[in-house]
Amino acid sequence: MKKIKGFRFSRGVHLPDRKVAAGKPIEVMSAPDVASLSTSMGLGKPSEPVVSVGDRVKMGQLISRASGLISVNVHASVSGEVVAISPKQNATGGTETYIDIKNDGLYETDYLDPLGEDASAEDYRNRAAEAGLVGMGGAGFPTAVKLAPRSPVDTLVINGAECEPYLTCDHRLMIEHTDELVRGMRYFAKALGVDNIIIGIEANKPDCIAKFETYDDIKVVELKKQYPMGGEKQLIYCTTKRKVPVGKLPSDVGVNVQNVATCLAMCEAVELGKPLIERVITVAGDGVKEAKNVLVKMGTPLSSIVDFCGGANDNVVKLVSGGPMMGFAIVGLNSATKKTSGGLLLLTAKETAESSDTHCLSCGKCADVCPMRLMPMNTVFYTKAGDYEGAAKMGGVLNCIECGACAYVCPAKQPILQNIRLAKAELRKKR
Amino acid sequence: MSELLVSTSPHIRKKTSTRRIMIDVLIALLPCVVASVIFFGWYSLAIEAISVATAAATEIIYAMISKKCWKDFRGTLKYVLFHNFDFSSVVSGLILALILPVGYAATEGGITSYHYLPWYIPFIGSIFAIALCKMLFGGTGRNLVNPADTARVFLLLSFTALVGSCWGTVATFGLVKGTVFNVQDIDNVLSGATPLTAMLGNGKMLLSPLDLFLGSGVDGMIGETCKVAILLGFAYLAIRKVIKWYFPLIYIATAGLFAVALEGFDFTFFLPSVLSGGLLFGAVFMATDYSTSPKSTLANIIYYVCLGLLNAGLRKATGLEVTSFCILLMNCLTPLLDRYIPRRPFGYVRPVKDKPKKEKASAAQEGKA
Repeated sequence: MKKIKGFRFSRGVHLPDRKVAAGKPIEVMSAPDVASLSTSMGLGKPSEPVVSVGDRVKMGQLISRASGLISVNVHASVSGEVVAISPKQNATGGTETYIDIKNDGLYETDYLDPLGEDASAEDYRNRAAEAGLVGMGGAGFPTAVKLAPRSPVDTLVINGAECEPYLTCDHRLMIEHTDELVRGMRYFAKALGVDNIIIGIEANKPDCIAKFETYDDIKVVELKKQYPMGGEKQLIYCTTKRKVPVGKLPSDVGVNVQNVATCLAMCEAVELGKPLIERVITVAGDGVKEAKNVLVKMGTPLSSIVDFCGGANDNVVKLVSGGPMMGFAIVGLNSATKKTSGGLLLLTAKETAESSDTHCLSCGKCADVCPMRLMPMNTVFYTKAGDYEGAAKMGGVLNCIECGACAYVCPAKQPILQNIRLAKAELRKKR
Repeated sequence: MSELLVSTSPHIRKKTSTRRIMIDVLIALLPCVVASVIFFGWYSLAIEAISVATAAATEIIYAMISKKCWKDFRGTLKYVLFHNFDFSSVVSGLILALILPVGYAATEGGITSYHYLPWYIPFIGSIFAIALCKMLFGGTGRNLVNPADTARVFLLLSFTALVGSCWGTVATFGLVKGTVFNVQDIDNVLSGATPLTAMLGNGKMLLSPLDLFLGSGVDGMIGETCKVAILLGFAYLAIRKVIKWYFPLIYIATAGLFAVALEGFDFTFFLPSVLSGGLLFGAVFMATDYSTSPKSTLANIIYYVCLGLLNAGLRKATGLEVTSFCILLMNCLTPLLDRYIPRRPFGYVRPVKDKPKKEKASAAQEGKA
């Protein structure tokens, strides 16, 4: 359908684009010699391994089963022998159980059966659970749980905003796999029983907008370039003008939000029976020789991905998994990719513009950009004094979506988000 | 890639700093400095220099003492100069100088003589501003009242004869004397209690709005008279997004319109009341001070509207220049505005107050029964 202009939410920031890899087609990277798959690939409880050391597994075979409601299945991304199941250091410095599979180079597949035309909503939901689908935007919430909303849903909103700088993986997917994405969206719509599909794309990706305009059942909304446009509540407001009430979920206003990368995974899971074993990752930043969009198998060591992109420069000061605004800094390149890692950024000192914090000068710029209309400086003030209830009351910290816009604009370089997270953690402990 | 930084998001920061903001304010004040030299002579530059130097020295000395510099003098000095010192005291010092007169008129035995402002006035004022109004409250961003503004009020009340009688200084000290476009009888201006009353008195305007706008032949504080210079600074601050352009305009418009209303809706009073006195300078450079103005938009609008009403009202009631007093008063109300003007988060739902109503209704029914 012809594109329509989206609404804009109040406040927010305008970030530099830095999407250097936007024009680069997705390159397929060969599977690693040893794939090490974490058992906690998404949000929630770690899954429980169902294979043991010495077993031979095929590509797509279930190797670790979800152990609760908020937990996801993990499948082998290569065929070969399970060589180790052991706790190892993960990207952020903690410890997780990893299943190491030695690649035998045969790539024998053990996929699920493709779903037919007559599949019911229940079948689609089950398929999302079986295939281990998670929200691939970064949070990693299990898709199957999302597809069973608490209240009736009438609209499916697809998040094609990709508002973070550097990241281009969704952009490339939307150009190169438009057809698969649209089919994936239709499967999601069937699973939810809705026929209103809206895709929101930021105005800096006119090529993607043009691609989706050719489909009659998809409403394309051109969104203003504004951060955090990809935030769930902001995206829902800008595409449908519905406001998600404080403390409520999108389903309470009849909306379900899915990421474009998840749509591709859904399409493959339904049509090919292929579980989520690979994803596109953007490697960018001034610290890498060549920025690229790479299709990698889950469990590929980050160091080999960097090597695939020509290697790292010496002036890298920070490694980031995900986007620069909401991703997390990682301790090294030893760990492996997960279902949620959409970006690998090698940032130099010039890009991070990190400097020591000075006195808060009470300029109120953090409040000016807060998309949730909170008072971040009050949160910092009360949290530093140890008064977390005050931070909740005067700063509204519990409504924070942690987009980092406040810390981005702060002229005093105050650690605003650290304080917000501290206050949230302390409040959660009490309640 | 040997040493990696691990910290929480966001991993990119905007290229901005407190220093950069303060330097922007200094750049915005430059036109006023130039205008002060043109209209009030080179001595005004000396006042500015004394004030700025004292303010900066006060902050550095205060910081050194509070950081116990006798333990490691050089290290502390380095830290204070390169990490702590953010030019905000330089801004305060310069603003204070710009709201002082260049000299004063003293009448003895019927003869009026004109003198330069003693050097100790900006010196004492700067120490008062930085040490008492700013550093004692915790330094940058923690001050309750605008340092320069409060110091000016302090000087005005303590040295009224020196700071409060600047009439005739343009004609005496200025490089450009008298009005440029509309030459008038200067003695007539001087005879009034203040330029404002002289100007508006007897239903006759002695200074045209154009003179007021350019600052030619207008007596007053050295940085306040030339409105062109102030507007240039305002434009720079607004373009650099240091301040929001609409806040000073709310203040100025409210003050002008309320003055018009007080004069019985005579709109000829609009331009003179907006362009005279320290209103414009106060609105652009002093009321917008970060730490002493509210944080949320609604509270800010209330703050600036109150300032405008107070300014016009007090001016009408006293016939004096009251901008600095108004700003001081509203500065004191800022914490209250911040606390009691609620800011609704995105998606805020008004709590449903059904229960008390029902109880009341049922109570009323019971009462009837």
